Amino acid sequence: MIETLIDILPLLMFMVLIPLLFSGYPVAFVLGGVGLVFWLLAVGLGIENPNSFFLVVSRIFGGVVNKLVLVAIPMFIFMGTMLEKSGVARDLLNTLQIMTRRVPGGLALSVTMLGVVLAATTGIIGASVVMMTLLALPVMLERGYDTPLATGTIAASGTLGILLPPSIMLVVMADLLSTSAGTLFLAAIGPGLFLVALYFLYIFITTWRNPERAPALNSSGDASENLSIGLIVKSFLPPLILILMVLGSIFGGVTTPTEASGVGAFGALILALANRKLSFKTLNDVIEQSALTTTMLFGLFVGATAFSYVFALLGGHDIILDIIASTGADAWSVLIVLMIAVFLLGFFFDWIEITLIILPVFAPVIAALDFGTHVENSDLMIAWFATLMAVNLQTSFLTPPFGFALFYMKGAASKSVKLGQIYKGIIPFVLLQAFCLAILMAWPKLALWLPSYMGH
Amino acid sequence: MDRLLTLSKNLNRFVSLVGKIGAWSIIGLIIVIMLDVTLRRWFVIGSTKLQELEWHLHGTLFLMCLGWAYLKNAHVRIELVSERMTARSRAWVELTGILVFLIPYVIAIIAFGFDYVDFSYRYDEGSASPTGLPNRWIIKSIIVFGFIVLGIAAISRLFECIVYLFGTSEQKLQTSLILPSDKIADNMNKDRAKSGTAQERAL
Repeated sequence: MIETLIDILPLLMFMVLIPLLFSGYPVAFVLGGVGLVFWLLAVGLGIENPNSFFLVVSRIFGGVVNKLVLVAIPMFIFMGTMLEKSGVARDLLNTLQIMTRRVPGGLALSVTMLGVVLAATTGIIGASVVMMTLLALPVMLERGYDTPLATGTIAASGTLGILLPPSIMLVVMADLLSTSAGTLFLAAIGPGLFLVALYFLYIFITTWRNPERAPALNSSGDASENLSIGLIVKSFLPPLILILMVLGSIFGGVTTPTEASGVGAFGALILALANRKLSFKTLNDVIEQSALTTTMLFGLFVGATAFSYVFALLGGHDIILDIIASTGADAWSVLIVLMIAVFLLGFFFDWIEITLIILPVFAPVIAALDFGTHVENSDLMIAWFATLMAVNLQTSFLTPPFGFALFYMKGAASKSVKLGQIYKGIIPFVLLQAFCLAILMAWPKLALWLPSYMGH
Repeated sequence: MDRLLTLSKNLNRFVSLVGKIGAWSIIGLIIVIMLDVTLRRWFVIGSTKLQELEWHLHGTLFLMCLGWAYLKNAHVRIELVSERMTARSRAWVELTGILVFLIPYVIAIIAFGFDYVDFSYRYDEGSASPTGLPNRWIIKSIIVFGFIVLGIAAISRLFECIVYLFGTSEQKLQTSLILPSDKIADNMNKDRAKSGTAQERAL
């Protein structure tokens, strides 16, 4: 009896964890608490040394504090939060709107483009979605856009930041899967741009077939809104310089992601200063907001470290490997099951929980997967896997009932926008993401040609 | 009850102060990284010390803010079920969570953390690199300090839960126990007013 209990202890950890997560108590503390309770249980059963929790503390130090690559995260968060205050996005959307005003669906296309630029600079989903909802949604609705099309476009484009570098999620994944963040950044570009192309195509085809869903501006428009080179340069140059500084220096091998993130944070500060948007109060707000976001992430990181370390101490990894071996599943079935599981988990959880809880548990399994010649350069298998996860996890923001992007959008949109319309609007985009995921599975080159080409 | 309320307010003030101080290490971090990049790029002076200072500052940042983030409700919650509960049952969940998960977890980290710091101090542990920073016990004791502050935040929140559950309705109103979804709704409204500030959640 006791032997069986010992054997299934790690599995029991998960069975206890999941209902507790739904209690609404902070995930970080539930993880830490459950880890501790199971460790105590193991000590009580005599299979664990009563001093071994010491190792959890040393793991928190070694795995979360003493990690130079993770320093990039507060810096990217600061950069994004600061940029939001700098008014760069507003200028950019204005220019894009003027550029595309005669094209049917032009506003939707502008929103997608803005989403890409925001993704390449900030990558903070909540901020991008709220900002675009506040800036673009009223204009789209006023222009007579179909509500689901408008909200779907904004939610889908606003979440590109999770995929397109510099992405905080990719930094976390690089750390958990022991690979380089720079390589993951490169690998995410292909699938990210492919997804953007799919969005464009969808918007273009829909609005071409049903022009009434996205009417173009037909009158000659306001004379003061004339397009000039000066306007384009003024609104495009600052974010482009910042993108070039951050991504260019990482890909050019000049700096590490950590250094580039610090330069980006500094750049955002200068940009806000140049646009006269920086007061002491703004700076203080940005610092506090960034610190809280960072702490939210790392509090969870610490809790997940405690949980997954106890899981490992109890022999959890061996059990997972045994279970997979006993089913005789090949690499493809493991991958597909994992992908479906992550997609389904995305309905209830966010990337942070999924990445920090699932990845440490499955990391040894993933590292052992063998896809033969399907992935030409086997060194890049992990990068391919991480990109698959990233595309998949973008949907976790969008799938109801617990899609954060939808939630924030509802909060920022006017009362006339119903949650049902938001849900309806997101369906085509989630399908496009699933399609992108399938293509990426079948054709790893979509992600890997760039890192291979750059010699990673 | 009134005494608990006063005590909790004072504890909150302390925890917030520590968090706000910790938050400013972001600026220190930007400065150190810029210095490191500049020195290496233009003066070709690599510095292990600066790089180690970077993660020291990063650790200080989130460890000192752990408790404050709890009071500000910045830690992630899964609210799928809890948003359908009454405010009272959510206060019960909070109370149980503090007693069953948070406080034991904090105590375990502090207790084992003390040994961990003590070990490092006694062996005068420094960087593995000869040119790195000495005195590893400093950053290691910040782990313990961060969890002590988190423990204080937990106790403060516990008092508020008790007041909320057992106090008079007037005392109840004085708790800053804003429950998760109310807090988010509150944030949303503020955001709309300020035309959008970054969210504490949803990176």
